[in-house]
Amino acid sequence: MKALSIIPLSLTLLAVSTGLAQAETAEERGLAIAIELNANNDNFADSTASMTMTLINRAGKKSVRRMRSRTLEVPGDGDKSMTIFDEPADVKGTASLTYSHATEADEQWLYLPALKRVKRISSKNKTGAFMGSEFAFEDIGSQEVEKYTYKYIGDDEVNGIPVHKVEAYPAYKYSGYTRIMNYIDQERMLSLKTEFFDRKDKLLKTLSLDEYEHYDGKHWRANRLEMVNAQTGKSTILEFSDYEFATGLQSKDFSSNALKKLR
Amino acid sequence: MTHSSAQSLNATHVYRRIVTPVVAGALALVSLTANADWAYRGDVSLQLRAFTDNALHQADQSVSGSVSGNAEFNRPVGENGSFTISPFFRYDTHDENRTHVDLREFIYSHSAESWELNVGLGKVFWGVAESNNVVDIINQKDAIEGASPEHKLGQPMINLLLLRDWGEISLYVLPGFRERTYPSEDGRPRGFFTVDSDNAEYESSNEQNHIDVAARVSGAIEEWDLGFHIFHGTAREPTLQFPSFAPFYYQMTQVGLDVQATLESWLLKSELIHRSGDNITDHIQLVSGLEYSFYGVAESDVDIGVVAEWLYDDREEQADTIFQNDILLGFRFALNDEQSSEALVGVIADMDGGAKTFTVEASRRFRDNLKLSLEALIWTDAKDDPLLFQFAQEDYVQVELGYFF
Repeated sequence: MKALSIIPLSLTLLAVSTGLAQAETAEERGLAIAIELNANNDNFADSTASMTMTLINRAGKKSVRRMRSRTLEVPGDGDKSMTIFDEPADVKGTASLTYSHATEADEQWLYLPALKRVKRISSKNKTGAFMGSEFAFEDIGSQEVEKYTYKYIGDDEVNGIPVHKVEAYPAYKYSGYTRIMNYIDQERMLSLKTEFFDRKDKLLKTLSLDEYEHYDGKHWRANRLEMVNAQTGKSTILEFSDYEFATGLQSKDFSSNALKKLR
Repeated sequence: MTHSSAQSLNATHVYRRIVTPVVAGALALVSLTANADWAYRGDVSLQLRAFTDNALHQADQSVSGSVSGNAEFNRPVGENGSFTISPFFRYDTHDENRTHVDLREFIYSHSAESWELNVGLGKVFWGVAESNNVVDIINQKDAIEGASPEHKLGQPMINLLLLRDWGEISLYVLPGFRERTYPSEDGRPRGFFTVDSDNAEYESSNEQNHIDVAARVSGAIEEWDLGFHIFHGTAREPTLQFPSFAPFYYQMTQVGLDVQATLESWLLKSELIHRSGDNITDHIQLVSGLEYSFYGVAESDVDIGVVAEWLYDDREEQADTIFQNDILLGFRFALNDEQSSEALVGVIADMDGGAKTFTVEASRRFRDNLKLSLEALIWTDAKDDPLLFQFAQEDYVQVELGYFF
């Protein structure tokens, strides 16, 4: 019975979606692109990577942070992720654990190695600077479609590559941004550039994503991210290396006890 | 209180004689296998303390210095094991008791699917509060190092951890007791009377060899983190005998709970214990309070956290701790700059006597590997306090420069 009833239903759906395509609003088109972009990022099961973050101040003085991360994809919810810090040396061994959620508040823990203490911390701080860099916590957190509403603005070019311009509006009430303009490669559906506008709707930061690599022929990842603060002149370069996917990490590898054991 | 002090004196010295070569051996072991994949972290720090008043006791130095080293070496053993060695040393220019070495950890850990076994000298933290962790009972405090819960002596333990979806059950057998460290006659800051730590006495005839046991169940339910524990054995905090000021380590049973609710910018925290034993008045101790954070104050990157906690002991005036009815109020400033500049300013005020202990802690990174820290402790209105009057002239400022690796 069921098998039979599927056929007319899917035909109906097809008819409806074709109908929508003709009268698609800018919001619907924006959402459709966001879903496609996100799908391009998902279905990796889990991943591990090393990161080098170079902070550059207005005078050009650099300071470096190094860390490693592991991420577990949670179907239907935000990712679980861990970050362990290797440099600077005074924070070596400090590690964080985040259960991000699409619409609810994230859950977050911090491991302090000198105390052997796992501390549950408030996850409300989305606007704060991550490790003194130009990346805010909300920039590096798990990106879920539901965290924003969208609007398709038009087409443009970035470095000669045709892109879609899609504006995203944070659903999170404590976000530091009024809107985020995404420049998305039309062919590969990858984000090439992002502009962040502050609460006064002034341009705050511009993120450039470069050196995309197609890992295992499945997962597109930018190996170099550069965030330039338009208001302070400071910038941060975030470089990824040693990306690995589907390494077999499980939910139990993302517990507070596992956080203590991370080295 | 019947046992001869000669035995415990002996035990202390034997421990020192054992720990020193073990620390040296551990370092040699690490250096010999240096090309195996040891993960390591640590620091070497120079510390200077300046006292603003003349002491009421014989230690009359106005400046003292010390150098300390902390390290943690960890390496995998086979598929599911790991081994951790964490040596510590301090050399102090004035206080012979503060000149000491210890193994904070010397522990093998085996992990399986749903359990974990840890055997050796370990370091464990329990608790949620900021001012004082009354539930934190497994390790002895290395009290001469300071009040922070990071200063703990390595505790001999066999620990079985059962991992569940909702949290964990942790079972401990603790063979071997570590005595609390106290300043010597030449040390500052200290109370008027020096603790005669070489002549510690024990309620148990097994003294330092009494086997203590403990269990803790902990887990999280949405925004609530909960822990329940029971401990039976030798109290980590001795009572001091009069007039000898020799520590007396009594036997006790402690049950307790710790709970934290994490509600957006609010953290609500409580730790509660009940202690009972033949040589003490049964009593409860409570630390309860809240923490609120202001993020990105005035459009800057600065975060300000406010902490308020109430510390209570139901023995009230009969309590032998300084926290019988006190309030902590603290402000934490994080600049979130490249140098991770931070400051903590706090006061613990006695609600009964009015004595106040002010603390200032601040730190800032320099270059990539150096950190400069400042600490100050100031006691005010302490003249009439039955315990704190001894510290009225012990205010100090401490500067520390650490090299981290």
